[in-house]
Amino acid sequence: MAASEHKRYAGMWVFPEASQITRDVAGKMAATPRVLPLVLTGAGLLFVLGIVGFIARAVDDGFDDYMDWGYYAAIFSFIFMFSGAAPLAAVAFRLTKSHWRRPLSRISELFAVLGILSTVMLIPLLFVMPPINNAGWPGPGAEEMELRRTIWFEVPFGAPLTWDILGLVFLTVCGLGILWLSALPDLAECRLTATGFRRKIYNFLAGHWFGTKRQWNTQKAGLAMLGAFYFMLLIFVQFVIVSDYAMSLVPGWKDSILPPIYTLTSLQSSLGAILVILYILRRWGGYEEYIGISTFWSASKILLGLTLLWIYHTFAFFITFWFGRLEVEQNIIKYLFVESYGGIFLANLIFGFAIPFLILLWNPVRKTAWGPALAGLSAVAAAFLFNIRIFVGSFNAGDIFDIGLSKVPAATYPDVWDVFMVIGGLGAALFIYLLATKIIPILSVWETKEGAKYQKMGTLIKGEYLILAKPE
Amino acid sequence: MQEGRVLPAKQINADLLKSILHSPKWFWITIAILSIFVLGAVAAAGLMFNKGLGTTGLNRPVMWGFFITNFVFWIGISHAGVMLSAILRLSKAEWRRPATRAAEILTVFSLMTAVLMPLIHSGRPWRLVYWVYTLPFVPYDFARGVWPNIRSPLVWDPSAIFTYLTSSILFVMIALLPDFAVLRDRTTGWTSRIYGLLAMGWQGNPRQWKLQIIAGVLLSALILPVFVSVHSIVSWDFGMAVAVKSWHSTIFAPYFVVGAVHSGVSAVVFVLILLRWVYSWQDYIRLEHIDALGRLLIVVATGWFYFFVMEVIFGFYGREVDEIAVREFQFTQAPWNMWMIAFVGLTYFLPVALWLPRAFRRNLWIMSTACIAVNIGMWLERFMIIVPGLAQKQIFTFDWYTYAPSSIEIVIIGGTFAMVTMLMLLISRVVPLIPLYDIKEGNILKTEIQIGRRTVPATFRED
Repeated sequence: MAASEHKRYAGMWVFPEASQITRDVAGKMAATPRVLPLVLTGAGLLFVLGIVGFIARAVDDGFDDYMDWGYYAAIFSFIFMFSGAAPLAAVAFRLTKSHWRRPLSRISELFAVLGILSTVMLIPLLFVMPPINNAGWPGPGAEEMELRRTIWFEVPFGAPLTWDILGLVFLTVCGLGILWLSALPDLAECRLTATGFRRKIYNFLAGHWFGTKRQWNTQKAGLAMLGAFYFMLLIFVQFVIVSDYAMSLVPGWKDSILPPIYTLTSLQSSLGAILVILYILRRWGGYEEYIGISTFWSASKILLGLTLLWIYHTFAFFITFWFGRLEVEQNIIKYLFVESYGGIFLANLIFGFAIPFLILLWNPVRKTAWGPALAGLSAVAAAFLFNIRIFVGSFNAGDIFDIGLSKVPAATYPDVWDVFMVIGGLGAALFIYLLATKIIPILSVWETKEGAKYQKMGTLIKGEYLILAKPE
Repeated sequence: MQEGRVLPAKQINADLLKSILHSPKWFWITIAILSIFVLGAVAAAGLMFNKGLGTTGLNRPVMWGFFITNFVFWIGISHAGVMLSAILRLSKAEWRRPATRAAEILTVFSLMTAVLMPLIHSGRPWRLVYWVYTLPFVPYDFARGVWPNIRSPLVWDPSAIFTYLTSSILFVMIALLPDFAVLRDRTTGWTSRIYGLLAMGWQGNPRQWKLQIIAGVLLSALILPVFVSVHSIVSWDFGMAVAVKSWHSTIFAPYFVVGAVHSGVSAVVFVLILLRWVYSWQDYIRLEHIDALGRLLIVVATGWFYFFVMEVIFGFYGREVDEIAVREFQFTQAPWNMWMIAFVGLTYFLPVALWLPRAFRRNLWIMSTACIAVNIGMWLERFMIIVPGLAQKQIFTFDWYTYAPSSIEIVIIGGTFAMVTMLMLLISRVVPLIPLYDIKEGNILKTEIQIGRRTVPATFRED
């Protein structure tokens, strides 16, 4: 039934025909839009530029001094931040059985492929990181510590580096597992229409999927279990990354709310990125018949909630340090929030809170495609600034074995290799994501079909209304 | 298949107004028993006011004990109202309907009880007037700059709590309007006149419904910042104090808020189970509702546990000798370590283990046990935050002390639980604890869809 037949819900809810979805999506995948090779080439070039920047930085400065790698750590964290949290959107909204999630499920799961990029990018950082033990410790009574502050209290075997990389590898594998399991029915459908080499790929990826009841039950149970595991792993890895690669590098920075702020920023930016992609697909990708405004509307409320939570947590941090009046805390505020990185913090505040809040505050704006997408774009920009501020700041805060930050260091500005690495990282992420969309349908076909079955029109008193089913 | 029957409006009125229009025998007996406890608490407080705070277990340096623990606990319980009513209303969760009214009313009573605790704790509550006035009706001259300090979180507290109390009462009253009108029409004499006044001319015309819905949604959104601010500010009573090492933690605000939601929602679930039992409301408070609340509680409990772990890890992370001393006190020395194990076990591991299987979530005995466990655990949590930190506040070991509550404190604390229970029972004689109009609206929107051979529950969507 076409959307136009339900004027009350025109644009808001979509009513795709289950029988046409497969053919339509397969057609869209086969037809390469004219702009795609252009974007792929551009992203590929940036990727190459990033590699050039990385090699130049390694040749120029080596891996001995971690301070030179602040911008690299920032871009690593930014990519990890939004790509790591994105698959959770599919997991969480599938768990809550939200119908509006269906168009965004696959978009969010596809971010799991960027886990490979994050893992590869973490490896150089492992070589760069300073040790936990202070080799030149002058002894008790000195203004230095024997061990720097770390979450690895008794320094278990291989800590922190082995555990960091292991955590990220497991997270990536788990994310790819979710993507594969979720895409399995769609890959089997693609197998039917593809030819040549593509058919071989789909045959390999789809395995023995025939859509039996047992297979469907296993798939759903597997997705739920992997989702729960992914959630726990993500929280752990984020905690480790922000503690080991940021907080522990600033002398005296003891801040229990930073890991939750990091997680919130990641959830906010990943949902923002998903909304931007949804908008692009709806506006220019030809998916208007499958992506209703209801998806934007509902996701925008979550984005508004995350935005408010972000500012609340940031304020809770700020007020506690500010009110405490301890010298080390005042210096950290001055360094990362007010003076050295004050400008970036202000921009972070504007993009992370002011803009999304002012956009999403209005229901009529939330009920559009552009409003939530714009707020999402702003959230992504805010996450980028957050990572620059926190990671570049932490990598350049001075002697990590000091008891506290006794003076406020100056901000560190990027050189040309830093700029190359930052834009290269962004290019690489875009390049890999676009490539993945050429293999795996960006719209979850089976979920869209399922959604079409769970909705119908019905009469209530004198009007025709949408009925949405919610199976237990 | 739908779990509940769609009941006619007439039967809904009859069933849900049963608690108001008829009084069972047990009701007044229970009220009498609870009154004894409340009067006992009043007498104990009177004795304490007369003899002084020396009758309590409070000492130097443990100046805050059971009273402040209980204050934080009741503030926490008050967070159920907004969580279940405002947030679930905004998210259009259908299963919220029978739980909202009880949650909102519990919010009001627990806030009122919480406010009493600092007053009792002050030992001389009449001197409160000096916090605000020097002479009758002459505002305190802050220019003297001596006391009170309006920049102190202890001054922010009353502002936030009274704002929350006012907005919560407004929230309940707005939601009660249609139900007051039903009561007005079903009672006679002065009762009808009082309900008539409370119903404020409600006739149920489209304009009134529209305004009531808009007011409900607006209040739901506006009350959210107040809801967050209340427990955040309570947490900052502790977090801003750098002298007590385990308190100065940036995570305290969200940690307290999530903990409050955890204990508040658990308390509401227990209240709902009691209501279902005493008033035979099986058709309204159904197992599916308890199940959904159980699932919500798993998420809330896990969020709380995350904040708890962060708080503990970063307590040790600082490597500060005096903070580690407090943590060792909490985790390694008896009886504190036993309390710590009990607190974490009762707040997280036991209840979550009980909430995970669907069959357990639908067993009212198990759900009651889990929810009571959470509240015992959350009470202990506040105790474990407040007392060990203060007991080792001083850097010199000869100043370290411990705390044991006196019988006066125990009687007063017990009295607050009896008071809230009594107030909940009394209010059930005045207002329906399950909103009539909300249940009727839910019934109208409820339908089913046939998919293949299965009948799947469904709802009408207006937008």
